[in-house]
Amino acid sequence: MRAYLKHPFWQAVLLLVLAYLVIVFVIPVLPGSAMVPKSVVLQYMATVLVGILIWVSDDEARWTLFKEPLHEVLIQPRLKAVRTALLAVVTLMVGCLTYSQVKASVAAPPNLRSIHPAPPSQITFRGKTIALVGLENPLRRSGDMAAHLAEGRRIYYQNCVPCHGDHLDGQGHFASGFNPLPANFQDNGTIAQLTESFVFWRVAKGGPGLPREGTPWNSAMPAWEEFLTEDEIWSVVLFLYDQTGWKPRTWEVSAEGSK
Amino acid sequence: MIYPLLLLAVVATQDTSAGKQVYTKWCAGCHGVDGKGDGEGARHMIPPPRDFTGNALYQIRSTPSGQLPTDADLLRSIDEGLPGTAMPAWKTRLSDRQRRDVLAYIKTFSPYFADTTQRPQPVVFGSAPGGGSVADALRVGRQFYDSIGCRKCHGDLGRGDGPSAPTLKDDAGHPIFAADLHENWRFNGGGTAEDIYHRLRTGLDGTPMPSFSDLIEQKFLTDEQLWRVAQYVRSLSPKEPPAVRDVIHAPLVTKALPHAPDDSAWTSVDGYWFPLVGQVIRKERWFAPAVTGVWVKAVHTADSIALRVVWDDRSQSPDTAWLAHVGRVLNTLDSDDSTREQPAPWPDQLAVQFPVAIPSGMERPYFLMGSPGAPVYQWRWSSSSRTAAVAGLARGIDRFDPQAGSGPGVRVVYDHGQWRLTFTRALASADTASQLPFRTGRAIPVAFFAWDGSNGEHGTRMAISTWYFLALDEPVPARVFISPVLAMVLTLGLGMLVVWRAQQKTSYRRQQ
Repeated sequence: MRAYLKHPFWQAVLLLVLAYLVIVFVIPVLPGSAMVPKSVVLQYMATVLVGILIWVSDDEARWTLFKEPLHEVLIQPRLKAVRTALLAVVTLMVGCLTYSQVKASVAAPPNLRSIHPAPPSQITFRGKTIALVGLENPLRRSGDMAAHLAEGRRIYYQNCVPCHGDHLDGQGHFASGFNPLPANFQDNGTIAQLTESFVFWRVAKGGPGLPREGTPWNSAMPAWEEFLTEDEIWSVVLFLYDQTGWKPRTWEVSAEGSK
Repeated sequence: MIYPLLLLAVVATQDTSAGKQVYTKWCAGCHGVDGKGDGEGARHMIPPPRDFTGNALYQIRSTPSGQLPTDADLLRSIDEGLPGTAMPAWKTRLSDRQRRDVLAYIKTFSPYFADTTQRPQPVVFGSAPGGGSVADALRVGRQFYDSIGCRKCHGDLGRGDGPSAPTLKDDAGHPIFAADLHENWRFNGGGTAEDIYHRLRTGLDGTPMPSFSDLIEQKFLTDEQLWRVAQYVRSLSPKEPPAVRDVIHAPLVTKALPHAPDDSAWTSVDGYWFPLVGQVIRKERWFAPAVTGVWVKAVHTADSIALRVVWDDRSQSPDTAWLAHVGRVLNTLDSDDSTREQPAPWPDQLAVQFPVAIPSGMERPYFLMGSPGAPVYQWRWSSSSRTAAVAGLARGIDRFDPQAGSGPGVRVVYDHGQWRLTFTRALASADTASQLPFRTGRAIPVAFFAWDGSNGEHGTRMAISTWYFLALDEPVPARVFISPVLAMVLTLGLGMLVVWRAQQKTSYRRQQ
């Protein structure tokens, strides 16, 4: 056993197996990571293989030793059974792989969706024209903030919880029924990246109000202007930022950013 | 033993003001600022959120019926959530400290927790008995399932359709369903045989589900036999919760199309599960759908298609026995419409939706029954006219234009809490402008809608799905096999060449 472990060929095999196990089984359980897609596994494994080959060929003696078992299999009369089995297995694998590649199977068409499509410069909200460019949340400058937040909280729990969830992470008890999944406001890629006017537009017009690149036919987001007033939407927008702790992007910052 | 004690020690030293902060931020929206289960979200969910005040009634406990839960019980409900309800699992969402703080705070709502001299004592649960064959265990389980009265509420086959099912309500008068025992992933206290056994021993306090511990004391049945009941109940659900696969593959069958839902030809066809959720998008919204999903199979012949949809429904509506239940449901929920509707014996319904034509690009009609400009093609069936289905165009959630005389064939069976239905139609259609012509080898968008009349569902109050796909598979053409064979011949040839070269070189060296 120890002799095997010292042999560069078996070391290389062991490294390959270990790398595979880490990529497929260890990485997904690390906090904050997910399953590694098959194509990425293939890329990682190719990189690992190249690394191993560089290492074994780095030293002449090691390289000779490394090649030895491979060569043995090719020429040794006593290894004829192994040789034949290897040839058969590799041939069959190539056959299966090719078959799975050429076999026609209908798959769901790719869904190319722009998650934050460009907003229009103005919208019509219940007959009133609202210019979105430069628009700030009017509730931040008038009235009692605590009252606005309490109102936003009421609206959120009465309307948004089934999909966006108690934790605002898009995992409400109805979320699994929809595709695309409801937005996760805790994630740094949603409201944290957006101005409040953008969020207002998305809430007011919902899925049906998305431009074509947002695949409006799939989104389950209601057009909330059917249910909520302008101020109610602004207060729920306030609540989203307050509850998650994100700060909305402001027009000043985005103007500087575009320079 | 040490762990619960430690936990108690930790909890006892908690400062409840930290817990109050967490509670107010994350829990009060449903459970209410005062813990009465009357938060802003409360009237949009069934079952409603737990009321922490008063008797402190808790369903999921390890303690005997009528006793308070242990801290570990409460922490488990916070950590894992209650599947099948709106209560999520907070384990990954709040820190250990926050969850313990909030647990301590929740206990301050009821005076019963203040009396620390009466510490709740968990039931000593044994582990599952071994020995015997699985078939024997399940047979014993089934025997006692009948004799201890499970079927009265859960029904003969366990789909929650027992004779008492329409009368069930919790202690507060809210409507409650007997669990569909075929969906263990929705069991409030967890879906393993062990979880089920624990619920059988402790009961679900505040609900009609009793504890069966007293039957063991009265020697009506043994502990082992109660375990068999739990194992039998577990065996009714699939091994794993069904996973959603996007594309329904309908194989080509050479024999006759199976018109009946119980035709034996269906047994060899792959089944697909699609979750349904409440229609919470257009007025009037529906937050408490009864149909949780549909099982779908499809096959086709050279000229026709058969689509089989199976779903669990506790009631064969319209059924006046369920009217009181409908009243309780409508009373528990706030509606978008301020005028509260009177309960009526509504029928069960199902709709299957396709686009009018198979889209060539990505664009499809709106998934929720199309729009005036882009209608969808639907098949609709109602239990009030069981043997006929209509086809037509939906132009939005509130507009359906039936096409007279062009409905698909339909055959339906209601069996112990389950509808099984097959639609059949020719692949080609007479009017290609308003009836989808089915084509093989294409991803055809499809969506499902279901109404349980005895849950108060009709019109826009329904369970809905998003777009999925149906593919009528073509037989594998012979040319597909050419390239794999070619690749194999090449690989084998190359391999043999390498071996031959290596052996040549070695013998050459030896000769030298």
